Amino acid sequence: MDPFILSFAVVNGLLQGGIYGGIALGLSLIFGVLRVVNFAHGSFLMLSLYLSFWCWNLLGIDPYLSAIVTVPAMFALGYFVQSVIISPLIRRERALVVEPLSALLLTCGVFLVLDNVALMAFGPDVRSVQLSYYLPSLMLGPIPVNIPRLIAALAAILVAVGVSFWLRHSHAGRAIRATAQNRDAAAMSGIDVPKVYAVTFGLGCAILGLFGALISPFIPATPTIGLAFGIKSFIVVVLGGMGSIPGSIIGGLVIGVFEAVASQFVTATSAAIFSLGLFILVLLVRPAGIMGKA
Amino acid sequence: MSNHRLQRTTANKSNLLTGALTFGALTFYASFAFAQAAPTVTIGCVLPLSGGSASVGSQTKVGAEIAVDQINREGGIKSMGGAKLNVVFGDSQSKADIGVTETERLVTRENVAALCGAFNSAVTFPATEVAERYKTPWVVVGAVKDEITERNFKYVFRINNKANYDAREQVDAIDLLSKETGKKPKTLGVIYEGTDWGRSHAANIKKFASERGYSVVLDEAAPPNQVDFSNQLLKVRSTKPEALIVAFYTPDHLILSRQLMEQRLDVPFGIHSVGGGTEDPAFYKAVPPRAVGYYFVQEDFQIDITEVTKDPMILEADKRSKEVLGYPMSAYTAQGLSGVYVIKDALERAGSADRTKLRDALAATDIKSGPALATGYQQIKFDEQGQNTHAHGAISQNIEGKRRTVWPAENRAPGVKPSWPVPTWSERPNS
Repeated sequence: MDPFILSFAVVNGLLQGGIYGGIALGLSLIFGVLRVVNFAHGSFLMLSLYLSFWCWNLLGIDPYLSAIVTVPAMFALGYFVQSVIISPLIRRERALVVEPLSALLLTCGVFLVLDNVALMAFGPDVRSVQLSYYLPSLMLGPIPVNIPRLIAALAAILVAVGVSFWLRHSHAGRAIRATAQNRDAAAMSGIDVPKVYAVTFGLGCAILGLFGALISPFIPATPTIGLAFGIKSFIVVVLGGMGSIPGSIIGGLVIGVFEAVASQFVTATSAAIFSLGLFILVLLVRPAGIMGKA
Repeated sequence: MSNHRLQRTTANKSNLLTGALTFGALTFYASFAFAQAAPTVTIGCVLPLSGGSASVGSQTKVGAEIAVDQINREGGIKSMGGAKLNVVFGDSQSKADIGVTETERLVTRENVAALCGAFNSAVTFPATEVAERYKTPWVVVGAVKDEITERNFKYVFRINNKANYDAREQVDAIDLLSKETGKKPKTLGVIYEGTDWGRSHAANIKKFASERGYSVVLDEAAPPNQVDFSNQLLKVRSTKPEALIVAFYTPDHLILSRQLMEQRLDVPFGIHSVGGGTEDPAFYKAVPPRAVGYYFVQEDFQIDITEVTKDPMILEADKRSKEVLGYPMSAYTAQGLSGVYVIKDALERAGSADRTKLRDALAATDIKSGPALATGYQQIKFDEQGQNTHAHGAISQNIEGKRRTVWPAENRAPGVKPSWPVPTWSERPNS
């Protein structure tokens, strides 16, 4: 294989993988703490894309600046969904470990409602932000690197580092980790568990709010866009290790690079199948994922 | 009834004015009851109203609704005593199984006289089978998969092109432009969405390409709802096709077109899109104009129809489309409009909503004028397989921000000069 094409594929894979990883961060965080598989993850991303689009379309806010709006708005939405919709389920099953299946079904309902409400409210049209300025591609030797994608991929790594640091060193972060380790023991130590849950869910959604703003310059907003990213996020998170922040980024990069290189030999469709094969292989060797703790 | 009687008694006891009002109300109820008794003919349309193709499905729906409004306003089906037309919709969600269920529902529950739809070939193919089984005529709108009108079905009629016409027209246009300029591409690439439509189009392109001496150096399918095309575009870069044939629906086409621009990927003889996304007005709102510069677009619709037609119904439909959708009549709106007018024409001649009689009338269709030709055809006449043999598309090139028809040569407006080969990215201003 031509080394130029191969290195080009690796660059593409790293960019795309970084974006997958960044988007999957919230899913991994929420699962790690709440043990809730958030099926509506993609729908929250879809909402942030729309939010960023409307900020640009109605208020003329640059998509990158719209993060000032999307991040707090998505945090509030996540906080609300957890404390109003999911929390009663957790309270009801307090004595047991939350049955992941019932939470999955619940968030699946949230996903259906959000996607269809978006379809009703915004219609099926494809909408897209158009930057008023032109960002020329950065030339990495002969390889053009698209700046908006590079920004999103780098942001994924920064956010992952930032969140890990915050979880490790802040008081709230310690409370979240304590709750993740043992909910009842954390409650007995005086941690307000329902609040920790709501904040974690809000944080997971806030990260999506950031990525909605960061990818809106190159990903169009449609009511169904969430599903494509949602499914990729699941693969990334399970591969990287459920609940692991660095695992999410590493899982994303592995999938991104693997698909980019493999699709130079077979059709991109088959490459996606092979990446699922890789996924099964990794789980056979490391059932908890690359970075997961068994 | 007792309520009315009570009202009337009260009215008699009070004053004349109230009496007159009550009488008015009673006659109103009476005429309302009469209107209910007048015959209505219900037709059903299965369309993708949610899911990936929802944008085009809803445009077709608007077209069909405009046609129904116009027909009812002009006195309904005259041979059936002015029967009103009523259209009900089924949402296929672009999924074959749901399309089939919706078809069954429209036939058995809504008791429709005829069906139309369903845009996606993958839905239309099995759904028309259901219609054939129930002996309910189906007027195909939008779907181009060849085999839809190659199964000896009696109840399936298609107004628009077969996929094979689309592919032939694209290769014809490349031939024509090569002949005009003496510059001919030797290699073609095909990149397409991996369901029925894209696959059958790619197969046809490969067939025509080998017949006419082009070699196909890239053949790449992608499943719907991609979020990134950089892998596929890298393959374009490494195989270097001189012209690229593209078949994608709106969301995928949008990402593909943007990334082609971002990566400054030069294809000397241009991008040849076979409609799908590039037929959708929403697409042009969402893409930077420079990303679609010099695009060739094949569609079953003459993009400048409203400038050449004098039909008041077509012009009105264009106006209504702007009011409802915010953009002029598109290929999809026109196809919805045309489909309903073809059914109306058959109802007039059948003089009945009986499905078998309607089927025979549809088979005898021969339309040479009127709003049924909104898509730009000269005639609608079905062969024994139900295919309109007079269907043809038009190919436009996006020259200086305007989509101008370049093929067939006789449809090309004076002064339109196709750009062939197309300028490279570095030769284009503002990019």
